[in-house]
Amino acid sequence: MKMHRFVLGVCITLTIAFPLFSMGAQKEQPLTVYAYDSFSGDWGPGKEVVAAFEAKHDIPVKVISAGDGVEMLTKVIAEQDHPYADVVIGISDEMVTRAYRADLFEPYHSPLLHEIPEFLHFDSEYRLLPFDYGNFAFIIDSERIPKEDWPTSLEDLTHPRFRKNIILIDPRTSNVGLGLLLWTIHIFGEEGWLDWWKAMKDQVLTITDGWSGAYGLFIEGEAPIVLSYTTSPVYHYTYEGSTRYQALIFDEGHQATIEGVGMLRSSKRKEEAKLFIDFLLSEAQLPIALANSMYPTNMNIALTEGFAYAPKPGVSLRMESEVIEKNLDRWLHEWTEVMSR
Amino acid sequence: MSDYRRFYRQKSIGPLVILFSLFALPLALTIQSGVWEEGSFTLKRIVSAILDPYTQRILLFTLKQAFYSTGAALVIGLPGAYILATYSFRGKKLIKALATIPFVLPSILVVLGFVMFFGNSGTLNTVLMKVFDLDDPPLKLLYSLGAIILAHTFYNFPIVMSIVATAWEGLDTKLEAAAATLGSAPRKVFRTITLPRLIPSIVSAAALVFLFCFNSFAIILVLGGGPQFTTLEVEIYRQARMMGDPSSASALAIVSMLINGILFLGYAFSQRTLTVTETVAERAFEERKPSPMRTFFILLYSLFTIIFLLGPIISVLYRSFSKGASRASETTFSTTWYRQLLGFEQSSSHMGSALTALINSTLIGVAVSILTVTLALLLSVSIARRKKNSSFLELFGMLPMMTSSVIVGLGYVLIARLLRPSLFGTYLLITLAHTVIAFPFALRTILPSVRSLPETYLHASYTLGSSPQKTFRTVEMPLLRRTLLTAAVFAFALSLGEFNATLILSSSRIVTLPVVMYRLIGSYHFQGACALGSILIITSGLAFFLGEVAKGDSV
Repeated sequence: MKMHRFVLGVCITLTIAFPLFSMGAQKEQPLTVYAYDSFSGDWGPGKEVVAAFEAKHDIPVKVISAGDGVEMLTKVIAEQDHPYADVVIGISDEMVTRAYRADLFEPYHSPLLHEIPEFLHFDSEYRLLPFDYGNFAFIIDSERIPKEDWPTSLEDLTHPRFRKNIILIDPRTSNVGLGLLLWTIHIFGEEGWLDWWKAMKDQVLTITDGWSGAYGLFIEGEAPIVLSYTTSPVYHYTYEGSTRYQALIFDEGHQATIEGVGMLRSSKRKEEAKLFIDFLLSEAQLPIALANSMYPTNMNIALTEGFAYAPKPGVSLRMESEVIEKNLDRWLHEWTEVMSR
Repeated sequence: MSDYRRFYRQKSIGPLVILFSLFALPLALTIQSGVWEEGSFTLKRIVSAILDPYTQRILLFTLKQAFYSTGAALVIGLPGAYILATYSFRGKKLIKALATIPFVLPSILVVLGFVMFFGNSGTLNTVLMKVFDLDDPPLKLLYSLGAIILAHTFYNFPIVMSIVATAWEGLDTKLEAAAATLGSAPRKVFRTITLPRLIPSIVSAAALVFLFCFNSFAIILVLGGGPQFTTLEVEIYRQARMMGDPSSASALAIVSMLINGILFLGYAFSQRTLTVTETVAERAFEERKPSPMRTFFILLYSLFTIIFLLGPIISVLYRSFSKGASRASETTFSTTWYRQLLGFEQSSSHMGSALTALINSTLIGVAVSILTVTLALLLSVSIARRKKNSSFLELFGMLPMMTSSVIVGLGYVLIARLLRPSLFGTYLLITLAHTVIAFPFALRTILPSVRSLPETYLHASYTLGSSPQKTFRTVEMPLLRRTLLTAAVFAFALSLGEFNATLILSSSRIVTLPVVMYRLIGSYHFQGACALGSILIITSGLAFFLGEVAKGDSV
């Protein structure tokens, strides 16, 4: 009988405890923000930005790491009928088509938009507002590879001296990987880009699902070259005083990326969401720029000394959204076809 | 007298209905989602999945890595089986105990231990660099096919070792002795007398290892990378979660289930032949001292086993207490990860959700263990108290073993799409998915004990006037208490470490211990992952210990 009573006791406790744990989160009703992993991750600006916002507006915010950009978008689309987030941070311009097609975001004409230069307004309907931008680049560990051996072009990366030395990112799951895919199409054209990827199969240590994984591997010293942004060295200079990791600038040009923030149509806290977006476009600009290693979109932000270590690419490459929309599925299919061999 | 049989028969109805809905429903949904399009039946998806060169390549890679891994596990495990079956030496018990580690170690922990031990900045390389004064890590083992096979080998060779050793110990040595007396050389005796009788156990071990490697998920997810090193299970996960295409995932799942079914039948068949064992009065160990060469070999092998099985675990425990000022600098002792874990210290990133994960995992684990043991007990008594031995019911209970946990997870994803549960509902679904996964193990623990209870006890109780109900409660239950406890602890440990189904089911709001560990590993926050991993190690160890104690005590 004792056993029975015990089991009964546990059952009752569980029944009571279970909803309690899920309710604990809901009681405060915080503004829920989805962000890609690196925003709220160890080195990300999430913590600082959220604390400052909460202090200013007294609105509790809950940031949720939702994987890399593409994965996050998939998640938001999957949850469309049962939405959870209010604001989504980090839908970049190369993957917007799926977001527009699913009609996820509500347009918001923020008063801060006039502080952002016209060329960054990638969404004319302002469903997504640009909060940072940059160029993709390969980052090199200068202690592992001497300067005279540094690659000077994408083609150069296929040289045998970089065998198993490069970490790439999957374009099916990450916007950074997608950025490289578009970059190679820019440089090598429709007829040549797949050959480059084919050649890279011997060069890569691994292809990760997201940027965080790739960059973490790189910092752990698993490989000396990684796909990232031209601005990545800024982080190491600002927070570690180190110039060990440097961006490789190729004369042929670098793919550009603009990252946007948007408010979900389904959100029940649109006023708070707008305040948060405005905050991202103003006060949060510098911390985001520093920790995320991207350029701030707001022209009134003065860059810190660290940005001197982010070399400006001579040529910045961008692809029209319509071109991407028309071809992306095919490109990804061809890429998978080649890379799975 | 027959009314007690009815009593037990009725007992089986509840668990059967529950099990059926917990297991068959998600499975049916998966199959339906794979073959149903716009209201009509179609094989289009499955056919196109099979014909798609990308799927074919994935399938080929899945088979290839499983084949190599099984081969490597046999090569390393068989000498161990020989040593364990032939010699008695000091430390043999330890090795036998260590060989059970893979059965209780969650896969996410295997991956973590593997990276911590074999990685470029792992224990093995650090030691080698210190000893030989090197600047670069000498062993670059991580990533791609080689790493996957190595991890699988390290995880599975103990399985080969213990299964074959057990069979070997069960062989009657008189036959060998007779052959030797008749003048056969030892080599010939082994080839013609011993080996043929070992083959079923070797085949059985190989089939089991192949099955494990074929369905391997966490190891491939972390150590693979890119479309070239993707297996069927990982692709199912990618399709379902990252591409948001559950229908394609279901088509792949059907393909996977077909292959699993074939593999499982092969395993079951080899099991059947295995049960035709010889009855040996006593196994005569070679008490003669092994030659110096062999002593050296035994020593080397034991050392190898201990290092490779304990090394990764100790590395995880060790790394959970170390902290570096920056990522590249020397590390010092620190409990900071545990303080962050318990919420005493503010933490960014995924460590912030570690405490919630710990609580969630514990709650789910307790619920799973109560649910699983109750169901398994009811089904066990109704199987055991039948007049005819009903292997059908038993087979039904074992069915979940035939599908991989990724596919169980996928089934629950489809349920979640139908029901659109709240956060609490999602946790409930995870609990139910864990129950399905843990159930066969609980049944396998409880059923033999129920069978070994003499039915005369029950008859005595009825004769003294007790109802079947009362007899069940006051006679059977107390006698089974230890077994039930073992099964409960085992189910709890399984649930606590369950990663595959949980990950595929989890939205960004769901946190359990293994999922947070995976996210920490994904963002290369290894120390934090190690702190969580250490908790898993301790629980698994406890489960294992309790299991051993119960085994020792049972009749």
